[in-house]
Amino acid sequence: MAAKPGSAPTTYSPNLVQKTRPPIFKDNDLDWVRPDGRGFHQCRPAFFRTGAVNSASGSAYAELGNTKVIVSVFGPRESKKAMMYSDTGRLNCNVSYTTFGTPVRGQGSDHKEFSSMLHKALEGAIMLETFPKTTVDVFALVLESGGSDLPVVISCASLALADAGIMMYDLVAAVSVACLGKNLVIDPILEEESYQDGSLMLTCMPSRYEVTQLTFTGEWPTPDINEAMQLCLDACNKLGKVMRACLKEAASASQE
Amino acid sequence: MEKSDEMVTPGEVLGRATELKAGKGAYVASQNNTIYASLTGFRRIQPPPPDSPDQRPTVEVTGHKAHGPVPEPGSVVIARVTKVMARTASADIMCVGPKSVREKFTGIIRQQDVRATEMDKVDMHSSFHPGDIVRAVVVSFIFSLGDARAYYLSTAKNELGVVSAESSAVLPSLFNFGPKHRRATMVPISWTEMQCPLTGQIQQRKVAKVVS
Repeated sequence: MAAKPGSAPTTYSPNLVQKTRPPIFKDNDLDWVRPDGRGFHQCRPAFFRTGAVNSASGSAYAELGNTKVIVSVFGPRESKKAMMYSDTGRLNCNVSYTTFGTPVRGQGSDHKEFSSMLHKALEGAIMLETFPKTTVDVFALVLESGGSDLPVVISCASLALADAGIMMYDLVAAVSVACLGKNLVIDPILEEESYQDGSLMLTCMPSRYEVTQLTFTGEWPTPDINEAMQLCLDACNKLGKVMRACLKEAASASQE
Repeated sequence: MEKSDEMVTPGEVLGRATELKAGKGAYVASQNNTIYASLTGFRRIQPPPPDSPDQRPTVEVTGHKAHGPVPEPGSVVIARVTKVMARTASADIMCVGPKSVREKFTGIIRQQDVRATEMDKVDMHSSFHPGDIVRAVVVSFIFSLGDARAYYLSTAKNELGVVSAESSAVLPSLFNFGPKHRRATMVPISWTEMQCPLTGQIQQRKVAKVVS
């Protein structure tokens, strides 16, 4: 990146940083040190803002560490032509990655199932019967993937829906936990996700203490499952408080 | 407001169902008899009407930001006619009540919904023209199972029908550049006729009776 004096000016080229990788686990007793220095049960500080997109009915931007997500909500608006009649409203979700969002360009298309997972996480929290025969469209765009993408998308989408004035039973907060050997690591980053043995994502409505979605992948020793779920529920509670503070701040700022 | 109204977010507890009733923006969770908010806004308590048997005050969330209006059965809408066919007319719903929608909804006016008398003798082209602004009411769409997309609209009342129409009269031009279309807002004469003020031409419409 720095041009040597006297040489032709260089065009921009990315700096290849050789990180020292910790050794691959030979046995399960090695301890993992988190690259960003967090404790195992410590989440990344969350930043939320609503009203990011002017042309949408509601929108929100979320940033947790390196994961940056923007969600826009359109609706309730007319359903598209091919839909069957329904006396409750419809929810349509789409999660897409920018081409520059993942370390390898174009790798975002590996996560096609995120759209239907977002749908399942949100549909339990929205009062669909308040807008019959119409559709609410939720479009999530991951600007940078820094690990724990889907939980951030879900939390951000729920804020965008609240910003759009869609009636909901409660906000939806999501947190994921990765199982690395014998350690439970909450809110994993991209590197930790690539080493994980198993992952758990829990989506819940914090004020009503109800879970809307639970996703397990990989290998889980049985006692860890309980501990992981308790961790997630507790973290969702705290995340819920941060989300409410963001909504209140945005609402009172626009009042003035 | 002088009272310090509390700002609430969806899912926050507003009170117990035994003491309060849930109004707009709030709902009752039956399993623990608590009232929660469903919108972001200010928590307001309305005193109960003095003659009602249920003397609980109503708690509501005055929506800081409510979603755009959605046509509901029985709501009066303003629509612009887009297509007129033999038995139906299509219209774009632009306003629901006093509020305008963010994105238009599609409505259909069927022959039997144009007026209340002699419904099978209705001629759609003598009732509406494309471009007319009509006031209509949304028919309950429980019976419209076949039509998944459009709302059925009805103008079968005196105060419903065409409220504003432009005449398509053609006037000969003074400067010999061919006939010039001068559009003027037509004046209603009766509940079936409107007259163009420039040419005096009378056109047929299903006119709404404007109550002043």
